[in-house]
Amino acid sequence: MTTEQTRTHAIDMNSILRGRDHAPEQLDITIKIENLNLHYGQKQALHNINMEIPKRRVTAYIGPSGCGKSTLLRCINRMNDLVDSARIDGKILLDNENIYDKSVNVAALRRRVGMVFQKPNPFPKSIFENVAYGLRIQGINDKRTLDETVENALRGAALWDEVKDRLKDNALGLSGGQQQRLVIARAIAIEPEVLLLDEPASALDPISTLKIEELINELKEKYTIVIVTHNMQQAARVSDYTAFMYMGELIEIDSTSQLFTKPKKKQTEDYITGRYG
Amino acid sequence: MISSWFKSGSPWIWLNAAAVSACLIMIIGVLGLIVVRGIGHFWPAQVTQFSYQEADGQVKTIFAEIVDTSVTPAAAAKISGYKMADNEEDLVQYQIKTGNRDVTGADFRWLQEHNIKSQDQPTDLMVVERREWGNFYGQLVAVKENGKTLASDRQAWPVAKTKIDEALAVYDEIAHLEKKEIGAINYSLEQLRLKGRSLELKDQLDETAKVSIENEKTELKKQYEQYQIQLRTLYQKIRGASLVAKTDSGKEVDISLAKVVMIYQPNNMNLFQKIGHYFSKLAEFLTDDPREANTEGGIFPAIFGTIMMVLIMSIIVTPFGVIAAVYLREYAKQGFTTQLIRIAVNNLAGVPSVVYGVFGLGFFVYILGGNIDKLFYPESAPAPVFGTPGLLWASITLALLTLPVVIVATEEGLARIPKSIREGSLALGATKFETLWNTVLPMASPAIMTGMILAVARAAGEVAPLMLVGVVKLAPTLPLDGNAPFIHLDRKFMHLGFHIYDVGFQSPNVEAARPLVYATALLLVLVIIGLNLSAIIIRNNLREKYRALEG
Amino acid sequence: MDNTNIGHHISGQFNKELEDVRNHVLTMGGLVEEQIEQAIKAFTTANVELAELVIKQDNQIDDLEIALDRECTQIMALRQPTAFDLRLLLTVLKIINELERVGDLAEVIAKMTIHTSGIESSKNDPYYEVQHMADLVKSMLHDALDSFARMTVEQVPAITSKDENVDREYASILRQQVTYMMEDPRNITRTLNVLWTVRSLERIGDHACNICEHLVYMIKGEDVRHISREELERKVKGE
Repeated sequence: MTTEQTRTHAIDMNSILRGRDHAPEQLDITIKIENLNLHYGQKQALHNINMEIPKRRVTAYIGPSGCGKSTLLRCINRMNDLVDSARIDGKILLDNENIYDKSVNVAALRRRVGMVFQKPNPFPKSIFENVAYGLRIQGINDKRTLDETVENALRGAALWDEVKDRLKDNALGLSGGQQQRLVIARAIAIEPEVLLLDEPASALDPISTLKIEELINELKEKYTIVIVTHNMQQAARVSDYTAFMYMGELIEIDSTSQLFTKPKKKQTEDYITGRYG
Repeated sequence: MISSWFKSGSPWIWLNAAAVSACLIMIIGVLGLIVVRGIGHFWPAQVTQFSYQEADGQVKTIFAEIVDTSVTPAAAAKISGYKMADNEEDLVQYQIKTGNRDVTGADFRWLQEHNIKSQDQPTDLMVVERREWGNFYGQLVAVKENGKTLASDRQAWPVAKTKIDEALAVYDEIAHLEKKEIGAINYSLEQLRLKGRSLELKDQLDETAKVSIENEKTELKKQYEQYQIQLRTLYQKIRGASLVAKTDSGKEVDISLAKVVMIYQPNNMNLFQKIGHYFSKLAEFLTDDPREANTEGGIFPAIFGTIMMVLIMSIIVTPFGVIAAVYLREYAKQGFTTQLIRIAVNNLAGVPSVVYGVFGLGFFVYILGGNIDKLFYPESAPAPVFGTPGLLWASITLALLTLPVVIVATEEGLARIPKSIREGSLALGATKFETLWNTVLPMASPAIMTGMILAVARAAGEVAPLMLVGVVKLAPTLPLDGNAPFIHLDRKFMHLGFHIYDVGFQSPNVEAARPLVYATALLLVLVIIGLNLSAIIIRNNLREKYRALEG
Repeated sequence: MDNTNIGHHISGQFNKELEDVRNHVLTMGGLVEEQIEQAIKAFTTANVELAELVIKQDNQIDDLEIALDRECTQIMALRQPTAFDLRLLLTVLKIINELERVGDLAEVIAKMTIHTSGIESSKNDPYYEVQHMADLVKSMLHDALDSFARMTVEQVPAITSKDENVDREYASILRQQVTYMMEDPRNITRTLNVLWTVRSLERIGDHACNICEHLVYMIKGEDVRHISREELERKVKGE
């Protein structure tokens, strides 16, 4: 992965004014995927994936349906463990620790690596209980702590002002966009290090989508975010780095601005410009 | 024309509508029959005084309630051997209830209309409901106490009323003493005996233990004596008084007040009094013990037994079924074995219920119960405790019978919970068990309730297996009382379904009991509807609460 | 990237739109080339009518630029192009700007023709030096537009090296004209006219070079502005 470019879109005036010979910024790496292969039964879904995911940046996976991007995302918090036929080899290092090590507690891992799914999936409980769910699972039942965390999480998900007067209402009464932000609040309430977003806006209307994107932009101040999206423009808008996957292989990963203006691989170019393969 | 009519689909719609109508008519018919026959039972019927010419030409007076009417065409009647006048077209017969079984030996008889010389409904005709021998129909002559006449003729009625109220109060007291107080003493005595026996079996029955047991025994006996004295005086009180009444044949009969439940003069009652009478009879039906081989009185023990058994069954079957379903659906590796188990479970639902009864008797009662007795109740041998049919075994047998329903319904419910909900919970760091417990099971609770509703509906209506594993015609005590440990799972109990069967087909006076059968059937239906309705309300609330992410 | 085909989009409409843009650019290029051709012809033959025609025709080029501008903006807004498509449109925007400027320069030459038509001596002057330079510049522009049409960058180093020839020629004409002026002050008017014209031609050469640079960005995705020749050649070869 190239680390030349720091942030995407915005022109980094400082680096221009510092002159052409400035040293490239070094990024911390949160997740390192090494030689990852995944089989569903006889079918190989991921082929030898190698990549790094930088800390506190948004990394997007794009690619056609069935290319393995969601599968790869689900490997990062071991959601694929739920699939009986899935067989994984290779390593995923989270802070230099292999999450597929036998000694790893999967529940604890998932507290560190939160996940938000394509369709908003709030529990049929109150808004408050939804956000407090992760904490209660950890045995935190102190009213004050819960109140505080729930408020912070809802503020963090830019939902507080909309729901503060009806925390006791059933979460299913919220609109789709609000539900998705609630789910994000629920995920950040347990303060994960990494947030995995699996097509978080694909079921939402354009305005809700924009709100989610805005939220992602804010969240990357605190969390490492990995997002899978079908919508290339969305990947372009929200991510700092974009990885293009095709047929279970990682074709190309680069800074988003680079990938969308000047991809290195023909497959990437064909995909992002909308040509036949 | 016709073919286009067929193509339009109208015949199909008509066929569907016809099928639905047929179902509706059948349901309404069943309920209607039961309701009409059952509800009327408690209405105080008019008592008629007939002048009737018997076959031998004698004219007799008969006091009776008209129960039924039958009309036979003259020709058919002649063939049956009835004497018919030439100008008669039909033979009209009345079935009447004459009561006074102790005097005449029969409750019912048929009257032919053309032999009735006159009929009247004099207001002074009295109906006496007795604890034995059924109803008495007649005229009140006098009220006596210890041989002295307190009142006679016109004054007799009000005096009789007050006397009966007094007698009933005393009777209640006696019943309370006998059932509650003396029952408790007997229970304690039995416990003491068992305690002594068990100590003896363990070779720990030393002198001190013996003495303490003896002391307690004498203490209890002393109490018992006191109650006996009380009882004697009470009995004295009511045995002394009696009613003198005249039957239709003019014979005067002495009826001890101790044996009277109620007297009334139906011909003298206005509508409101009749309604009052109706409800008091209804209350008696619902809350009293049965009398006279179940054909009179109430059916409270049967209601209580039914509900109790259904509740215990639910308590057993629900967790058991839910746990089994959770294992099958969530934990077991899906494959040939789980499929085999599912098929087995589904087939269990099709096994005739009496087979379960046989199994319950053979396995639960004799093997399980017998061993429990051997291990835990050696002191009561040879009398069995759990080694005999009882509430526990009946409940467990029915739980087994309804288990497939709960398992299937729960599995359906679990399967319907979207994967995204489980994933959402797992992604928050919950373990599989926490996910199940905190989200999946609550969301599946409406389905579990549905399973329970079906189970309850099936269990409450089941009779055949119960006859083998615990239901009796008449249980002396309820399975729930004031003596520790309060719930007596080893006791036999009464059940509405069996009660219907018993009253309708096994009672000495089937004819008299028929309305009671309908009333009991109605009650059984109502109990089942009530149980189902409450479960449905709970389920609908849950459903509203967990209105899952559909669509 | 070796994929320089506009076609093969899943959306046929998008293909057509991009193809249209390319054709319109080539049309505009052809028009500009013709303008230069005619302006030079008018200048060397002192043909005032032709010069006036050139001035009039410049409006067409301006209109074409505006139309293409609008076309590109529309495609960007509606299609959100990426990668090559994005670079193509950005490049087109820049190329038409360059072409418009070239058109303006042709107009300047035409105006010079009208300006010098009053001078008797220039009527029979064939202005060989100007003609030679004009040929050079025309070929540069032509090659650049040809490269655009074929979407290749092979000719780019050749074109940019021609620009060096143009610069040299410009310098020598400059020196020559200065000598003329010193020889005879009456030549000053003619000399200045020539100077203006060659100055315009030199600028046209520069614009042709700029078009080439844009082409390299379009096809290779590399920014080749303000770099040395060697570096340019390396980048063009894709090393």
